[in-house]
Amino acid sequence: MTEDKKQASRLLRGIHRTLTGLHPALESVLAAIVGLLFGALIMWVWGYDPIVAYKTMLLGAFTDKWGLADSGAIAAPLVLTALTFSICLRAGMFNIGAEGQVIMGGLAAISVGFFVLPSGLHHVVALVFAMVAGGIWAIGPAILKLTRGVNEVISTIMFNWIAHFLSIFLIGAVLLNPFSADQTIAIPPSAIFSKLIRGTDLTYAIFIVIGFALIVYFVLWHTAVGYEVRASGLNPSAARYGGIKNKRTMFLAFVLGGISAGLAAAVILMGSSATHAMYRLHGQLRNIGFDGMAVAMVGRNHPIGILFSAMFFGGLNAGGRLMQLSSSPVPVQMVRLVMGIIVFTMSVPELARVFPAVKRHSVGLVKEMKRLTSSKGRR
Amino acid sequence: MSKRPRSDEIAKYYLRAERITKIYGDGTVAVRDVSLDIHQGEVIGLLGENGAGKTTLTKMLSGLLPPTSGRVSSPLGAIRFSSPREALAFGIGMVHQHFALVGTFTAAENVALSHERPFARTQLANTRARLEELMAESGLHVPLDVPVEKLAVGEQQRVEILKVLTREVDCLILDEPTSVLTPLEVDELFVFLGKLRDEGKSIILITHKLKEVKSITDRIIVLRHGELVGDVRTSESTTETLAQLMVGEVLEHEADAVELSDRDLPIRRVRKPVDRATQSVLHVQSLTSKGNTGETAVDDVSFDIHGGEIFGIAGVEGNGQSELVESLTGLRVPIAGQATINGTNILGKDPREIYKLGVAHIPEDRWELGLILPFTLAENAILGVHQWKQFKGPLSFLRWGRINKHVRELMDRFEIRATGPSAPAKSLSGGNQQKLIVGRELAKDPAIIVASQPTRGLDIGAAKYIRDLLVEMRDIGRAILLVSADLDEVLALSDRVAIMYEGQFMTVCPPEELTRERVGLLMGGVREEAVA
Repeated sequence: MTEDKKQASRLLRGIHRTLTGLHPALESVLAAIVGLLFGALIMWVWGYDPIVAYKTMLLGAFTDKWGLADSGAIAAPLVLTALTFSICLRAGMFNIGAEGQVIMGGLAAISVGFFVLPSGLHHVVALVFAMVAGGIWAIGPAILKLTRGVNEVISTIMFNWIAHFLSIFLIGAVLLNPFSADQTIAIPPSAIFSKLIRGTDLTYAIFIVIGFALIVYFVLWHTAVGYEVRASGLNPSAARYGGIKNKRTMFLAFVLGGISAGLAAAVILMGSSATHAMYRLHGQLRNIGFDGMAVAMVGRNHPIGILFSAMFFGGLNAGGRLMQLSSSPVPVQMVRLVMGIIVFTMSVPELARVFPAVKRHSVGLVKEMKRLTSSKGRR
Repeated sequence: MSKRPRSDEIAKYYLRAERITKIYGDGTVAVRDVSLDIHQGEVIGLLGENGAGKTTLTKMLSGLLPPTSGRVSSPLGAIRFSSPREALAFGIGMVHQHFALVGTFTAAENVALSHERPFARTQLANTRARLEELMAESGLHVPLDVPVEKLAVGEQQRVEILKVLTREVDCLILDEPTSVLTPLEVDELFVFLGKLRDEGKSIILITHKLKEVKSITDRIIVLRHGELVGDVRTSESTTETLAQLMVGEVLEHEADAVELSDRDLPIRRVRKPVDRATQSVLHVQSLTSKGNTGETAVDDVSFDIHGGEIFGIAGVEGNGQSELVESLTGLRVPIAGQATINGTNILGKDPREIYKLGVAHIPEDRWELGLILPFTLAENAILGVHQWKQFKGPLSFLRWGRINKHVRELMDRFEIRATGPSAPAKSLSGGNQQKLIVGRELAKDPAIIVASQPTRGLDIGAAKYIRDLLVEMRDIGRAILLVSADLDEVLALSDRVAIMYEGQFMTVCPPEELTRERVGLLMGGVREEAVA
């Protein structure tokens, strides 16, 4: 019995070490591959041809200029919302309020339609508006957490809904487009980013996104402020011992995250869509915040990793549209399924550690394996 | 193994340990060659300093930890349990120092949870009935329907004891039960323990408070450095002999015990008289602080430390030393008193402001406070000094080049063995981690060094190195506050020693005026007058 137990825990430790000992980047790649394989399995079960589908998807998303441009256009806002999640996670908090901060950023960006400014300046004003609005929306949960100890998971979800309904009101009452009842005024052409590649959704805003990711990287790893954020996220008591004010770093991380989310809305609204307005149920902005969390996870909460993982998810989405046009047309929902599996796979190393039940079962597993091998030997 | 021994079987002994030794994986000998019998109907006091092996011994006696050699047996044969629940079924219950209660559950629910089938429909009602019966019998009353987290610590402990009692134990082991209780609660508990003894149960009381041991036990077992140094009838012992046994007269075991002896260290010889007329570096007046659970942890403490002296605080852990250090380093806000460093008030200031006055703090918990383990050596080496001009450029940019150079210097100067500045701190050995902390703090060129348990858990070489560093710092005129549970260390290094007991200084004097016997008494809370 004890011998079996020992072997079981050795086996588990081995699996665990293999899973966690990988380089983080490799782990992400492994999760992506597992996700794609599992997606293929499901396609196969339902009678689709996974090889044709994936070929269409990957070739469409990553091989030509237009495919890459579309992938990049979808990736751009995801980078920013992923940063929202990652910055807060680095500071030790679980901020899932990007969704609401995106909505508020979007409303602010659209409000520049009320005044006339020269192009260029108009861009800047719209971007600043969006960032400030996103940042302000993040202050609410931050203050609740720092003064009253309200869990940020709860408060950010609440703030998401507040933003949702507030936006419905504002779209219907303040920003209303007189010619179309379910959408806002349009962002004037003087505040629209021009296309980087004609015929695609990719605009010059992509440079702002990459620039912002690099700035976040430098702030976190090369400044004293970022050092304090990371220190207090990893070990708040040691940070306090080191003279760091944890509340200040938490507040900073929240606001910086909000700014990033607000910017994500501006990047979408000031570029990709043809109407440049927000709809009552904000179709273009929906799920940007939540998808960002998946991107952040696969990107290992590192700004540079996030750039790559956003491009991967962007490619999945852009190529996924083509998948339904292939000779073996697969529903586009398959893309979200693959994304879900990837997120699950990413958390497997943690699962191995968390559940002691796994250990108990593995005792039985080892016994069973022994029985099998010994009976084989007899034969 | 769930069968219990019959009463006629345990007439001779209930548990017997035969030459048990426990060596942990890292080579620490926790218990060495201990033999003893435990009978029914007696209260045994298990006495010893921190790290003497008390907890390890009781774990082996209760069958939860297998000895490396030797055997623990009951009249039914050798005992070995895989969980406390199994041990309880056999009749051995242990109440730990740290409670295992679910805060949001009521007392009744917590007790029901410890039973075999906690979620059976009648379990809660049965438990309640049994608890009410027990409370009437024992006099240990707790409110049954209030969430446990709302109860006072003493009440929580009673819940723990009741939890064990509902399982009809034959042997009850209590680990430092009185450390969280008020004197009145202690009296109540002892009356009840006496009752249990009269019912024929065995009770093992782990403690280091001499007075308590004297007042309740029938027999006292003293451990020192894992060895059984005394097994005496309480009626035949005195507090003095017990103190002597607990602390030991001189250090006989050079290799495995603390390797310090007065002769080995040059400090005593080169001590320069401190000029008390000059202003002290640290001045503390009537400092009072509350502990984490709201009790008064530091009680009206006053002292001064001058440059060029080591002020040592000895005492059993948990008597307010940690809270005192935290109060002086900005990690805890005291409720009353004054403290100044070179004339500047430090109370209520945050750690950064206090560091600016020239304070270095070597914290007692190097993993929780001293280091951020996933961070690299370089990142850890600037914790607390990361805002300094030499490491921070314009726009708050960190100068990694300079920082890495600084780290290499630290590695050279303080003999920190690591692959380089970018090695994660968790990859370092304990000794090197501590050297990193000590190096970082001493590199601040501080006026005063607050060193809390600076050599705990280190191997002899690293410990000696750090002790030598502290002496070196004293010799160049720094003030040092040394807090350590290692009595030998405090006595050998300090110029003046304070003995702390229940938040107060029992005495402050040069170490030469202290005999080990007296130290043992003072650490156990026996005042001078009582001895004389």
